[in-house]
Amino acid sequence: MSTAPQLADPQVSRTKFNREVEEFRQLAGDYARRGWLLVEAEFPRVFVVMAAPQLKPPPIVTGVLLDYTDYDLRPPSVQLADPFSREPYKAGELPTSLLRQVETDAMPIGLALPPGVVAPRMIQQQPLMQSYGPEELPFLCIAGVREYHEHPAHSGDRWELHRRDGAGRLVRILEVIDTYGIRPVNGYGVNLVPQVSGLTQGEVPA
Amino acid sequence: MTPKQIEIAIVVNGQPTVVHANPNSPLKTVIPKALEATGNTGQPPENWELRDDNGTLLDTSKKIASFNFPAGVRLLLNLKAGVGGA
Repeated sequence: MSTAPQLADPQVSRTKFNREVEEFRQLAGDYARRGWLLVEAEFPRVFVVMAAPQLKPPPIVTGVLLDYTDYDLRPPSVQLADPFSREPYKAGELPTSLLRQVETDAMPIGLALPPGVVAPRMIQQQPLMQSYGPEELPFLCIAGVREYHEHPAHSGDRWELHRRDGAGRLVRILEVIDTYGIRPVNGYGVNLVPQVSGLTQGEVPA
Repeated sequence: MTPKQIEIAIVVNGQPTVVHANPNSPLKTVIPKALEATGNTGQPPENWELRDDNGTLLDTSKKIASFNFPAGVRLLLNLKAGVGGA
């Protein structure tokens, strides 16, 4: 979570933060049915837990920690976090990497087509949670998120281009996490480790 | 005869508004109206996605009437994720 100081008028950020929270609360019942539970909102932070109500019993998939410091001079910081301790997940701990399918004409590394052959459109799975290693804090790689706009690779896609589109709004960010991390959940992964405990016997002869 | 307009409540990135729509029009016709009503004019309509209140993505090329929306229906309009990947 970025800890940069507040530069915008704090009252402006606080008013916009309150609007986000108030609008969420107006429809909190609808969001709760989708598994979005606002646990705490105190400027500048909001903590939401997201569950997957489509499973029985329904699991809490992740917490989401948003920091609206300096909003909307700067976009909110967004971290997926442990729903109980609220500690941001390291990349290796993420319960979901928010996989999405994207179409590309780039060939996989090591493969090449003969000259003149048009590359086929390929479907790749791309994680929206990006990091440089399992011990790093990952970030949500979409416009409207502070960590995205502060990343050097995105210096050409400034926050100012998205600020008026609602890209950093609370419900929009939760919708993205829901789309790629919550709604696709369709079951529990189970590892079974069979152990041989002895021999079994059929009919006992007379 | 002009068909009766119906009211559809649309929540745009969390901000509610109400638009009037012709039930014989494609659902996508409500998107620019909802964006204009909420001041979200920075991105074209195709960069937004419309869902029902269960979060199910709706095919906006279909006629509004084909959805048989109940009175008081509320739809959710949110900006798409865009291109991700660092």
